[in-house]
Amino acid sequence: MSETLDLTLKVWRQPGPDASGRYVEYKLTEISTHMSFLEMLDVLNEQLNEKGEEMVAFDHDCREGICGMCSLMINGQAHGPDSGTTTCQLHMRRFKNGDTIVVEPWRARAFPVLRDLVVDRSAFDRIIQEGGFISANTGSAPDANSVPIPAPVQETAMDAAACIGCGACVAACKNASAMLFVSAKVSHLSTLPQGKPERDSRVQSMVAQMDLEGFGNCTNTEECQAACPAEISVSNIARLNREFLRAQLCSKE
Amino acid sequence: MVTKLAEKQQSSPSTGGKSATKWIMTLLSSSIGQKFVMGITGLLLCGFLVVHLAGNLLVYVGADAYNGYADKLHSMMLLPVAETGLFLLLFAHMALAFKLTRDNERARHISYQEPQSKIEEKPSVFSQTPMGNTSGWMFLSGSIILGFLVWHMIDMKLQLNPTVDYDGKKPYGIIVDVLGSYISAPIYIVGTIVLGFHLSHGFSSAFQSLGLNHPKYTPLIKKLAIIFALVIAVGFVSLPLWGFFIR
Amino acid sequence: MADTANTVFNSRVPDGPMAEKWDRCKQEMKLVNPANKRKKKIIVVGTGLAGASAAASLAELGYQVESFCFQDSPRRAHSIAAQGGINAAKNYPNDGDSVWRLFYDTVKGGDYRSREANVHRLAQVSNNIIDQCTAQGVPFARDYGGLLSNRSFGGAQVSRTFYARGQTGQQLLLGAYSALMRQVGTGRVKLFPRREMLDLVVVDGVARGIIVRNLITGEFEKYSADCVLLCTGGYSSAFYLSTNAKGSNVTAAWRCHKRGAYFANPCYTQIHPTCIPVSGDYQSKLTLMSESLRNDGRVWVPGGQGDQRRGNQIPDAERDYYLERRYPAFGNLVPRDVASRAAKERCDAGYGVGSTQQAVFLDFRDAIARDGRHAIEAKYGNLFHMYAKITGEDPYQVPMRIYPAVHYTMGGLWVDYQLQSSIPGLFVLGEANFSDHGANRLGASALMQGLADGYFVAPYTTSNFLGSQNLPDVSTDDEAFTEAMANAQDRNSKILGVQGTRSSDSIHRELGHILWDHCGMSRESQGLELAMGKISDLRDEFWSSIKVLGQGEQLNQNLEHAGRLADFLEFGELMVRDALVREESCGGHFREEHQTKDNEALRDDENFSHVSAWEFTGVGNEPVEHREQLEFIEVPLATRSYK
Repeated sequence: MSETLDLTLKVWRQPGPDASGRYVEYKLTEISTHMSFLEMLDVLNEQLNEKGEEMVAFDHDCREGICGMCSLMINGQAHGPDSGTTTCQLHMRRFKNGDTIVVEPWRARAFPVLRDLVVDRSAFDRIIQEGGFISANTGSAPDANSVPIPAPVQETAMDAAACIGCGACVAACKNASAMLFVSAKVSHLSTLPQGKPERDSRVQSMVAQMDLEGFGNCTNTEECQAACPAEISVSNIARLNREFLRAQLCSKE
Repeated sequence: MVTKLAEKQQSSPSTGGKSATKWIMTLLSSSIGQKFVMGITGLLLCGFLVVHLAGNLLVYVGADAYNGYADKLHSMMLLPVAETGLFLLLFAHMALAFKLTRDNERARHISYQEPQSKIEEKPSVFSQTPMGNTSGWMFLSGSIILGFLVWHMIDMKLQLNPTVDYDGKKPYGIIVDVLGSYISAPIYIVGTIVLGFHLSHGFSSAFQSLGLNHPKYTPLIKKLAIIFALVIAVGFVSLPLWGFFIR
Repeated sequence: MADTANTVFNSRVPDGPMAEKWDRCKQEMKLVNPANKRKKKIIVVGTGLAGASAAASLAELGYQVESFCFQDSPRRAHSIAAQGGINAAKNYPNDGDSVWRLFYDTVKGGDYRSREANVHRLAQVSNNIIDQCTAQGVPFARDYGGLLSNRSFGGAQVSRTFYARGQTGQQLLLGAYSALMRQVGTGRVKLFPRREMLDLVVVDGVARGIIVRNLITGEFEKYSADCVLLCTGGYSSAFYLSTNAKGSNVTAAWRCHKRGAYFANPCYTQIHPTCIPVSGDYQSKLTLMSESLRNDGRVWVPGGQGDQRRGNQIPDAERDYYLERRYPAFGNLVPRDVASRAAKERCDAGYGVGSTQQAVFLDFRDAIARDGRHAIEAKYGNLFHMYAKITGEDPYQVPMRIYPAVHYTMGGLWVDYQLQSSIPGLFVLGEANFSDHGANRLGASALMQGLADGYFVAPYTTSNFLGSQNLPDVSTDDEAFTEAMANAQDRNSKILGVQGTRSSDSIHRELGHILWDHCGMSRESQGLELAMGKISDLRDEFWSSIKVLGQGEQLNQNLEHAGRLADFLEFGELMVRDALVREESCGGHFREEHQTKDNEALRDDENFSHVSAWEFTGVGNEPVEHREQLEFIEVPLATRSYK
């Protein structure tokens, strides 16, 4: 494998939320294979700035795969070709010399584009604010060891809690469904004993908000699971369905 | 609408339950509730398919067996009720399919240049559908199956197939003619193969929509779905093949 | 030399025995009655552990809270990246831990440059944090019996660290975020994401509001309140390459400093020993790997200089396990500052490995042989995976290469015991303040401090402030708001107006090099003097040749970056000045002139047992140094030795 790459990028450029966008082609030469994908975009931006063109806007922050801020549909795949990886952790050694790379923003009615590759994911926050929490006011907590939680239960909760809220599930789903995101939070909280008191109202409120935001329906194609950098399982979606039906059919709420 | 959890916490907790119509409406208007209905109707239709196939396979036993089965079926008092039920199931399944598909197209609203699957290993050839992803294909295959069913009704219920002479024939005679018809046989072959593909995703998907997922039995359900789809598809496809080529 | 105003300013540490100070303080505090709480408005800037927990807790009390962050969601704050864990004096493992021992370890670990009373309070509330987080559903690791599991971390000799896999920061932040979002749902917190604070508004000497730029539209917005809580993290990104997020910045804190808040001990930066080394000029950030790796990994360099063999090809006889050799008692588990400096020392002496020779090995060969690959995978699988992804090497086969990187900043805005800065009504929480870690922070105590401040300290002390003040209403039409807004707008237009030739990234990199070379792991007076001049020149260059395209009234990430960089260029000089004035070595601040003959840090307690709190006097002007004398009563001063 050569140490540097020459690439063609086709990047979605859109000046603002209401403006129309288009793909713009850029040539890049001598990209080190050790660069991360975002570092490659940094190089592109430096070159654009030098030429007097505005930089490509893209969301990013921690660049170590945990904050969930970076996004990007790379050659039609959310966060690029690697599984269990965010765009910031994708490295250029994954590409070949001469490749053409298409870079698009997440596309969903619920995630409107703000500029270029930056989208508005506040729909996720609004879903969480409807019930993605355990109501425990500061200061009221009992001793942490007062309720033992079996390790397997804790592990199941942790698997679901690992969600980084990046929105790749929505981006990868052909229906732009947010079920994996919602199910991860519902699973995390309803699995734990602390989360049981609110489990019925939580799932109903969160699903209602999810529907309100205009996400699509889950059709069980499991693309979300394949695209998820935190490797959240679709078994959480089944749990969400179960929790929702349970709340609808068996609870008083 | 569901009351906001936060608002609820500020008001006093309600003691009574919701009115029946209200919760049913909430359930049916929610995305998950609709998928739930989709799954239930789908599984019930699967049940019908098993019974229907079992009955139809009697053509291989002989004219008497098949005629006996048909007469008995048609003499049942509850047949119109069962048929109505079956029609309602099918109607609900289809109506929701239209609704969900339209919602889903809206939710994406701008498509990607070339979306690529990240699923590395598709479970079997049955999931390698012509459209690349399973559920877009579900709507298309469902539509093809609908067309097939319409023709099937023309053949069997309305008895309007121009290539078949229905006069004075017993059921066995009719089915043999229909299966041998150069219009019906190709439609039946295509229709039932597509049905097999439809089932290979739909059967296991229904379990997921109903929330029935567990590391111990979900892999089995997925395998079972493939086997089920194969059995139904092969069983039904064999009939026009037999009627058209062998007889 | 700076003007030294030897004023003793009031740290408001309560009298009485150490263990009773916090209780006494709480007893003496003024309360706000519930009906009045609804009328009081509090601005919280930043939504990391400190910000989210404070905003949620204050809203629970009934205040109107407005919460701001520059990210697209409060859940993105960089607290999320903390891996290792959070300390608490629960003593669940029955190994002799106590509030006093946690307090003692933290004061000693901070190299006797923190305020004892603050640290003691931190240790006291540490247990409540674990309870609170567990109640929120934070999935801390548990034993098979279902009880919480602990590990030893960062050189502590007791197991007091609670953790959630390698994602403790994420889980704690998501816990605080969920509490915050719950309050957003009730309407008691108004959330303002994608807003960057660009100025503090001080009315009649009291912090009464902020100016922010809406990062989507580019519009400037004014917000008024009864007090302002600044929870905006540290300034590691001044170094350009650090383990902090790309967006982490000093801007909010720096603008407060310019409005009169003292900046304390800016030279105290922590260099984390176990980071993935720099691979090229394009590098945009450094990735940290949890220091828990040092529990099982052994650190070494080849015995000969310039050895370019792969780690697994070097026989045992030619390896120098230098930490075990130099620090037999603590070995690979010496505190961060010691481990980092030792790595630098070896690399500077020519024993470094890898293509840049700026790395040392962290080797799991022996641990894999002892416990089996499976056990190592269970403990560190995600870290090994991350290392492999970034470097393309398999750490199960070849030793990891690591090098220190800037990670955390102990310095920050000066605050008193009640976390109030030198501007009344401006409270500073978490990494943004200076108070609890002295000159060096121990592992797993940053999360503890952020949450302690947010959940258990600020709700009391801000209430006390609001209860004891009779503040007049203030409107955003007030002159002070107009002036501050014009000031912030003016700065942005100036940046856009330069239209020069240099990109913000290139200038930021250059600043990073200056700071890393002269004010990094080791510092000496000549280098520091040189750095002062270089930073000043670079600042001039920034204002004459920065090139930022696009408009101010749009989403303009380049403008955001340039604005932050402009502040780093002012701040960097203060950091260097502070390092120059502190003529001793302590914790993360190592002055080459002040070391023992074994090259260990040499503290000067007689002359430097104080906090240097700097007062702003204008860009390029010499700031005024105020000193808060530190007293060590409970933990007597001693040389920190890990031999």
